[in-house]
Amino acid sequence: MKLDLTPILESKRAFRRRAAARPIAEKLRMLDALRERTLAIRRASNSGPAKKPVVRETRPDLRATDH
Amino acid sequence: MGIKEVIEMINRMEAAGVIERYAIGGAVGATFYLEPVATLDVDIFVEFHTEPDSQMLSPEPIFRYLRDCGCAMEGEHVVIAGWPVQFLPAGSALVQEALTKAVEKDVEGTPARVFTAEHVAAIALETGRAKDKARVLQFIEADAIDLQRLQEILTRHGLAGAWKQFERQFLK
Repeated sequence: MKLDLTPILESKRAFRRRAAARPIAEKLRMLDALRERTLAIRRASNSGPAKKPVVRETRPDLRATDH
Repeated sequence: MGIKEVIEMINRMEAAGVIERYAIGGAVGATFYLEPVATLDVDIFVEFHTEPDSQMLSPEPIFRYLRDCGCAMEGEHVVIAGWPVQFLPAGSALVQEALTKAVEKDVEGTPARVFTAEHVAAIALETGRAKDKARVLQFIEADAIDLQRLQEILTRHGLAGAWKQFERQFLK
């Protein structure tokens, strides 16, 4: 089976053309919204649980302590 | 709060003589010609005044004015209407020309001075990061620039070689 991407790519191009042709005030409001969204994603990805480091930078203490 | 308020503030600064002439560049400038692409700050190119007791060009009068208006400083940015705004000097002949040739656009009754599409593209090519090259490609794909005019600007500012390389990389 072969997937023809041509109509998908053409539809994307048409969407971009329509977005570019919008009134400038509307496009600037879109920039405001895009920035809010980018910052929200950034905040969400920074607020997750701290990941356990995969690489240990110091050697574990292997000395026995209970004798 | 939004970019329109930023433009209104910059217009007030120009009217008050804090800056001589400004033009919007970068991603926000490109948005006047292309579809909007997410950006986190606004680039405003200005002619800086010299301080009375110095021959050095200084952004200090700009910062002083904006601080008095209640704007906060955030690193090299000033936060206006929630947007970090960077004031950049017209530090090269290309940017000086872009500032001189900038055009006035109407944003729902608010005048905004913006670099021409060809100058936004030329400065992006000169800056040369991956995202800048992507912007030049966007202009070409959207047929939003006069290529003849762009090439004249690039030749005038010694960027013909950079254009040739860009052509080889992306257009052939």
